[in-house]
Amino acid sequence: MSSSGNIETILSVGIDIGTSTTKIIVSRFSLENIAGASHVPKIEIVKKEILYKSPIYRTPLLDNKKIIDIQEVHALVRKEYEKAGVMPTDVKTGAVIITGESATKENAQEIIHDLSSEAGEFLVATAGPDLESIIAAKGSGAYQYSLDTGKCIANIDIGGGTTNIAVYKKGILLGTCTLHVGGRLIEFQDGEIAAVSKPVKEVARMIDQSLSSQEDVESVLDFMVNTLTEILNGSIKTKENPLILGHLPEWGNTVEAIMFSGGVSECLYKHETAQSELYDDIGSCLANKIKESSRLAEWEWITPLETVRATVLGAGTQTTEISGATIQVDAAKLPLKNLPVFHLHLEDLQVGEESVKQAVQQALEMYDPNQEGINFALYISGLKILRFSEVQQIALWLLQAFQMQINNDQPLVIVMANDMAKVLGQSIQSLKPERPIVCIDQIKVENGDYLDIGSMLRAEVVPVVVKTLAFHS
Amino acid sequence: MNASDVEKVTELILKELNSQHNVSREPEKPTGSMVKFHKNLNTIPDFKRTPDLKEKKVRNHMEDFSSVDHPTNQEYLTEQIKKTPARIGVGRAGVRPKTNALLKFRLDHAAAVDSVYGKVSDELLNRMNWFSVQTMVEDQEVYIRRPDLGRKLNDEAKKQIAAKCKKNPEVQIVISDGLSFEAVEKNAEDVFLSLQQALTQLGYEQGTPFFVKNGRVAIMDDIGEALNPEVVVLLIGERPGLISAESLSAYLCYKPRKGTIEADRMVISNIHAGGIPPAEAGAYLGNVVKKILDNKASGISLVKREK
Repeated sequence: MSSSGNIETILSVGIDIGTSTTKIIVSRFSLENIAGASHVPKIEIVKKEILYKSPIYRTPLLDNKKIIDIQEVHALVRKEYEKAGVMPTDVKTGAVIITGESATKENAQEIIHDLSSEAGEFLVATAGPDLESIIAAKGSGAYQYSLDTGKCIANIDIGGGTTNIAVYKKGILLGTCTLHVGGRLIEFQDGEIAAVSKPVKEVARMIDQSLSSQEDVESVLDFMVNTLTEILNGSIKTKENPLILGHLPEWGNTVEAIMFSGGVSECLYKHETAQSELYDDIGSCLANKIKESSRLAEWEWITPLETVRATVLGAGTQTTEISGATIQVDAAKLPLKNLPVFHLHLEDLQVGEESVKQAVQQALEMYDPNQEGINFALYISGLKILRFSEVQQIALWLLQAFQMQINNDQPLVIVMANDMAKVLGQSIQSLKPERPIVCIDQIKVENGDYLDIGSMLRAEVVPVVVKTLAFHS
Repeated sequence: MNASDVEKVTELILKELNSQHNVSREPEKPTGSMVKFHKNLNTIPDFKRTPDLKEKKVRNHMEDFSSVDHPTNQEYLTEQIKKTPARIGVGRAGVRPKTNALLKFRLDHAAAVDSVYGKVSDELLNRMNWFSVQTMVEDQEVYIRRPDLGRKLNDEAKKQIAAKCKKNPEVQIVISDGLSFEAVEKNAEDVFLSLQQALTQLGYEQGTPFFVKNGRVAIMDDIGEALNPEVVVLLIGERPGLISAESLSAYLCYKPRKGTIEADRMVISNIHAGGIPPAEAGAYLGNVVKKILDNKASGISLVKREK
């Protein structure tokens, strides 16, 4: 792809299996060389088109709602692919995520594994609550809003089982938080309470309500909205609250605007025209409480681009990045999934040999403690523009250090912050041609991130998904 | 301005800046070169991700020169300045530029002029084992006025090339100062070594590299006639500007011969520390050479074949 105007397209699919609903989205990315004809190519995603949106399905459950109905999910995916006119082999990137309460079902892992191998070449296949919050904020438009306005906005994605909050300012992630607040935490049948989730029972006990009357449900809902308010303004300091799942928020009192997405927000905005199904749970009551809250009204409310589909949209369109255009990869070794990242900040080449050796040693102790041959990606940052001789030097150090790996047939995976992957990869290769290499650049990752690297595209770049959990304070 | 004047001005500006803005940074190491300020003229754009606040701040070369009095929005101004190496946000004193900005402008201009008139060191040529030949023009003033003479080898050059170079190679690498000796001095070695490694890995047979003094791009036609290579890669100094005086270009052509049209040449430009890093550029050039040899065409002809 040496000339501009040469466009390559790839298909990306997002599948979101939530507590209450499951949805699928198919989109097409256009990749183009945006550098001038006389420059080294720079490949970017220049256009994202949504080709197909599935209806909102109820998540199929079995065995008293303890497990997800795998057969049914497969049938659903097959049917939707057919309607969209997509073959699994056409899919080059995307994400299957199991969100909210569904993630805690006994067979969640199995589903993920099955789907990501059968439905096409997915990169992200799991998402923890933090990543879920990030994906929802990107799908709802909150992330873009913060970029466009420079404001600090909280995206509050309220689904059936959980609420995922992500706070962005100027496109920078300030933090995430997950709450047991959702439409399906209390279910009704024939006007009577039929099921109550564990955290809600704890709340009822705490505020001395027996959950026998409508008033009791109202006070639980008030408690939920209050918790949400305190999380947003940063005044909550204790994890005693049974609604908090995981860590406390870390953004302080900085939020200027709020945006609601997720199934419950649909009750606020009514984006979906065809949907009139009754869920028989507290979803719409919760939405009403949020609408009426005078404390939540103190923030500026921004209307989301998507409500119930924010997460699936984010998963399908916002998770993929493109590597630098000059890279050195052994195409036969791709795709690679779930590589843990070890970060080496290498500034002083005087002690480079020792630094590289230590980093690889630490990475192996951390990620492959039982010497099972679990691979990892070494991320190197901090380097200046290097002379060719210095690149040779680093190549040798890396090769020596990576010999500590138990299995030398697996690819040596290196991610460079600087634009130097090709020369480094070639240098390693000329030292040891038999060792497979995946050396890419211009992707930013952190310690503890997980990395998925897709197959090489025609433009000689690879799609990359960084599953990041790092916040910026 | 002569060399020592520029040195003095540089020192003055640095001193002034350090006292005015109280900039805490490492003192510039004396390099013996007149163009200290050109070490990091361009920013390296980070187009993949939002800025990482935890990382150390990368300073744009113009940041130290921005001095708008009482800006309405300092944060926004700083952001804009960081996005471009152009001279924005330098403020003004009445209708004139401020002293700092003016001195910086003159310094950059002087560096550009110097890079045209300077000479590639024998030290580099010896170290790289590049023998040196001359085009039909020796005088620098004539070189600038007569581009046509820079496109032809003199008789002595033809003789030397015939005597010293391998004939009919697949790839012939040539280095020329062109309009910036600094470009060659700073970048040619790394591009060359990296390209050489890439070509070796691809299994191409390389000719004997050499240096052409006072060359223009079309000098590759004369070289093509003399050595009959499949591809010529010419690493040549670019016309300097006020942003960078040390940018190198790699021109490539499939079978350049007398009468080759310009549309059949192709170029990878902007090779320097603030643009495409030299070592990475060399590695990438290997790919371009492969594409040319696979298609037996370069430039527009190559684009047509690829379609």
